[in-house]
Amino acid sequence: MLRFVAVRLLQALIVLLVMSFLIYGLIGLMPGDPIDLMINANPNLSPSDAARLRALYGLDLPIWTRYLNWLAAALQGDLGYSRLISQPVLEVLKPRLLNTLLLLSISLVLALAIAIPLGVHAARKPNSVTDTAVNLLCFAGISVPPFWLALLFIILFSVTLGILPAGGMAPIGGDGGLAERLPYLVMPVATLTLVSIGGYTRFVRAAVLEQLRQDYIRTARAKGVSERGVVWRHALRNAMIPVVTIVALGFGSLFSGALVTETMFAYLGMGKLIYDSILGNDYNIALVGLLLATLMTLAGNLLADLGYAALDPRISFTETRT
Amino acid sequence: MSAGRRFLSHPVSVLSLIVLVLLGAAALAAPLVEGWLGVDANAVSLFNRFGPPSAENWLGTDELGRDVLVRLLYGGRVSLFVGIAAALASAVIGTIVGLIAGFYGGRLDDFLMRLTDGVIALPLLPLLIVLAAVDLGKLGLPAGLAQSDQVSLYRIIVIVSLAGWTTVARLVRGAALSVRQREFVLAATALGAGNARLMLVHILPNVASPIVVATTLSIGNIILLESVLSFLGLGIQPPLPSWGNMLTNAQELIWSAPLLAIYPGLLIFVTVIAFNFVGDGLQDALDPRSGPQRR
Amino acid sequence: MAKDRTLLGTGLRLGCAAVALASALAGTLISGPAFAKDDLVIGAIQFPGTFHPSIDAMATKNYILDMARRPFTTFDQDWKLICMLCTELPSLEKGTAVEVTRPDGTRAIDATFTIQPGATWGNGNPITTKDVLFTWEVGKHPQSGITNSQMFAKDIVGVTAVDDKTFTIHWDKFRCSYDSINDFLLLPEHLERPVFEADPSQYRTRTLYDTDRTNPGLYFGPYRITRVESGAYVVLEQNPTWWGEKPSFKRIVVRTIENTSAMEANLLSGEVDFVAGEVGLSIEQAIAFEKRNGKRFNVVYKPGLFFEHIDLKLDNPILADVRVRRALLMAIDRDAISRQLFEGKQPVAHGQVNPLDRYYSDDFPKYPFDPAAAVKMLEEAGWKELRGGIRHDASGRRLSLEFQSTAGNRTRELVQQVLQAQWQKAGIEVRINNQPARVLFGSTMRERQFPGMAMFAWLSAPENIPRTILHSTMIPTPENGFSGQNYVGFSNPEADKLIDDLEVTCKEDEARPLWTRLQQIYAEQLPSLPLYFRSDSYIMPLWLEGVRPTGHQYASSLWVEQWRSKQ
Repeated sequence: MLRFVAVRLLQALIVLLVMSFLIYGLIGLMPGDPIDLMINANPNLSPSDAARLRALYGLDLPIWTRYLNWLAAALQGDLGYSRLISQPVLEVLKPRLLNTLLLLSISLVLALAIAIPLGVHAARKPNSVTDTAVNLLCFAGISVPPFWLALLFIILFSVTLGILPAGGMAPIGGDGGLAERLPYLVMPVATLTLVSIGGYTRFVRAAVLEQLRQDYIRTARAKGVSERGVVWRHALRNAMIPVVTIVALGFGSLFSGALVTETMFAYLGMGKLIYDSILGNDYNIALVGLLLATLMTLAGNLLADLGYAALDPRISFTETRT
Repeated sequence: MSAGRRFLSHPVSVLSLIVLVLLGAAALAAPLVEGWLGVDANAVSLFNRFGPPSAENWLGTDELGRDVLVRLLYGGRVSLFVGIAAALASAVIGTIVGLIAGFYGGRLDDFLMRLTDGVIALPLLPLLIVLAAVDLGKLGLPAGLAQSDQVSLYRIIVIVSLAGWTTVARLVRGAALSVRQREFVLAATALGAGNARLMLVHILPNVASPIVVATTLSIGNIILLESVLSFLGLGIQPPLPSWGNMLTNAQELIWSAPLLAIYPGLLIFVTVIAFNFVGDGLQDALDPRSGPQRR
Repeated sequence: MAKDRTLLGTGLRLGCAAVALASALAGTLISGPAFAKDDLVIGAIQFPGTFHPSIDAMATKNYILDMARRPFTTFDQDWKLICMLCTELPSLEKGTAVEVTRPDGTRAIDATFTIQPGATWGNGNPITTKDVLFTWEVGKHPQSGITNSQMFAKDIVGVTAVDDKTFTIHWDKFRCSYDSINDFLLLPEHLERPVFEADPSQYRTRTLYDTDRTNPGLYFGPYRITRVESGAYVVLEQNPTWWGEKPSFKRIVVRTIENTSAMEANLLSGEVDFVAGEVGLSIEQAIAFEKRNGKRFNVVYKPGLFFEHIDLKLDNPILADVRVRRALLMAIDRDAISRQLFEGKQPVAHGQVNPLDRYYSDDFPKYPFDPAAAVKMLEEAGWKELRGGIRHDASGRRLSLEFQSTAGNRTRELVQQVLQAQWQKAGIEVRINNQPARVLFGSTMRERQFPGMAMFAWLSAPENIPRTILHSTMIPTPENGFSGQNYVGFSNPEADKLIDDLEVTCKEDEARPLWTRLQQIYAEQLPSLPLYFRSDSYIMPLWLEGVRPTGHQYASSLWVEQWRSKQ
């Protein structure tokens, strides 16, 4: 078990290292550099000033050297400064990460709270009217473009009804407490929840159906356990194993999905930060942000494996799973 | 029950297929509709901005006085083309990787599957944004090509397929692994069939069904992805219309012309959901054992 | 960044947590204006990166800092140069500016300024010439990271302190603009010197303007920054050490809302009082907003020194012919564009000098919309044969041009497509090929790689002599390190001489004929196609008064102390 975790951590480290290099290279291939952006805002910047600033920011060095410099500093804990926000990278990331985690956890809990009963309900009577209706709803959730859903929400709740703020984080001057942020969270949370419910429900339904076919269910029924008890206590409990796995595996993609939602609602989270930093040639933030997103996915995968093992003792770690 | 029959027994899937055929036909017929209504998708008319629906402009006009309906149809051409082309490209890459991994097994299999895992572990959307922002000129592409009108179209197909092949690869590998041990393959090997021949003639047909299902389902996802990237300004570049980039402008206009934000999104939604239903129906039809469960 | 919660205090009258919760649950309106009239909430579409006055120019940063600090000199709303931090503009007549000859024989000028006697940093330290000397030291240091070092490192060859409040600037050569040091933005020596001296190359990241943004000693304006929530808003409160007219609002909040539809929602709900033209909505958005909510708001359009135009690459064989350039201009209906897209709020430009500039002359050729004349001129120039709607010349060349602009700028993309359609009618094929702004300005224009036409704007100060744009020595080449902004490649000996003379002709009546002639040459030669002067649009509540848009690159918030609420 420990060995397994150690191997996986080592693998994750290698993936991160490779990723950091790839991303650095890709960012270097993006049009323009930070100084070009300065010129854009300040056309009177003379070429000699531009050259001086490029040298000062180390942008005149070949990309290899820049990467190695960055890596050396990063290994010593210095992740550099954000160009767009003029603050150390970690200072910028910390609040953003917390904001995203808040958004994601609320949405995830809500999505599961809706998806599990819905999925179980559908599984109890496959191909019934309820099942078909749930199925339709799931497909709708999977198929709706998230940014469009967000746009519809803004049109409905902000433009037409005027009852929710169209974007932002919290009212001015507040203490940033959860209560005053609530109105600002409603639409982003609703968007994220609605687009993820479909997938979860279908998965729960499939997992419960699978369990209901098993022998032990037949045994339980034969023993006279009520249908309700069979479904909720026996089938669902065992069905939770794959569900937990899929939730953990999906955490990375949820993180990516938050990018669109956050951008639409000007929610100051990681996704929006990554998007802004890519467009703004803020190399340091973009790089660390993307690595963090990768790390989340890797952590999700590892958690899925561990959770799987914890819930199902039949799984051992001696074999390599593919 | 034959596969065709089984598919026909799903009313929603059949309806979806009909919707898709109609949408595709309408998109293909965009120039005809243009001529028939007597409008021009690119004709700017400053005196007819935000025009209401009329006999000429069925859905009204946009912020430049262009006909919304015809632009939607042209946008549909682009969005559908990107979806289908990128799904096919992903399927080809995935099939090749999966076949090789499943057929040869061993170290090669290990390596390819690690690679697949690695790609799956990537934060997809942010990476696609970086890829979409890469300056092709810096990659050494000739300026003429790197800046041509169509480049955004092909670029998005390439980057989406680079990220989208993993599902098919895993499916094909799994199928290839199991088919490889089946008697007819063993027999063919004994008769001296070459590896390429084995893969193409004996294994591929046996994994065709899951590939078809996965590809159909991925078209929907790719159209969604394209619309997100175009919406963020990194996908299809105007003046080439796509449903995604038509929404970019509409976002700023939701106060004055909210309908401009409704139509393209609705079309994306309908198309994606239709592809998903068709894929679902196909899965049921081609692989009855798996039932309607899908990941 | 340390969160400063004490400052919130009781002053911010916000719905308390419970009310917010209840209103959200009940689905009622988020209640009225977030601040009483003691407070002014300004909406901006960007959040400043750095707060350092001389690192990275950015509209929102300048807008905010102008409330918290002042330049020595600037242009006022009537486009006249005035003193803000100094007591009086130096002048040759009064002897506060003296023509001198440097030891190497160059003719130069020294100008003497005096700091306002009451000028004090927000922590009580007086502003002295020590600060002036320190600012110059930082400005010219090659590693300090100051964005524009030209003035500090090249134009100014020396600064001497006469006493605590008086100093003399030694300019590198004689120039009529000796009295303007608009961009000499003072830094507090007593706070910033230790940071700078510890490591000049790290100064740009360690400056207190970014590490301790609410330090009162960094500011000396009517307001000072008291709270910064990165990405969300900046709170400014009255500065007790301010020596000038007492401002009316107790507190000003500059709130960042990047999404323009959200900005409108906030204006309507009263969470934002005022959207400033310098940092706010585009003109089309403002017009659309006015149409719907004009009664509740006072929408002001100020045409200014944003000269929107199309650069024509004169090396392009098609564009080298002046007749083609004139035909291009006559083939487009700028009046209709201005009327239909901008409701006439953005006046058509006929030359690059703004009619509001005191040196504007009306005495030059103009090219109103005249498609017939355009066609005739094209035919004269040899583009006679129409093939598939596109003109060709005798040798079979196609009249086809590439048209670039900044991708993602909606207004420009709109105008581009209109122009494309109008040129099409005259048989001119125009291919649109846009690039992100950073690429267009960062390399394409700078290295003159644009093949045909490029649409963008120049923003300048009033009376700006167009040396960098029109002088032949300012054509960017690899040899001069791509220096200059004469991207079109305009080379006209008469214009060169006029520009050289203008820089040393200080008297208005002597300069005027030179300015007139320069405008005539521009209009005759058309190195670029003038389109219109862009307007800033201000969306103000009916109760707000005293805001006077400037129309040039210096922000209206430099006069923030005159803003007040009507009641």
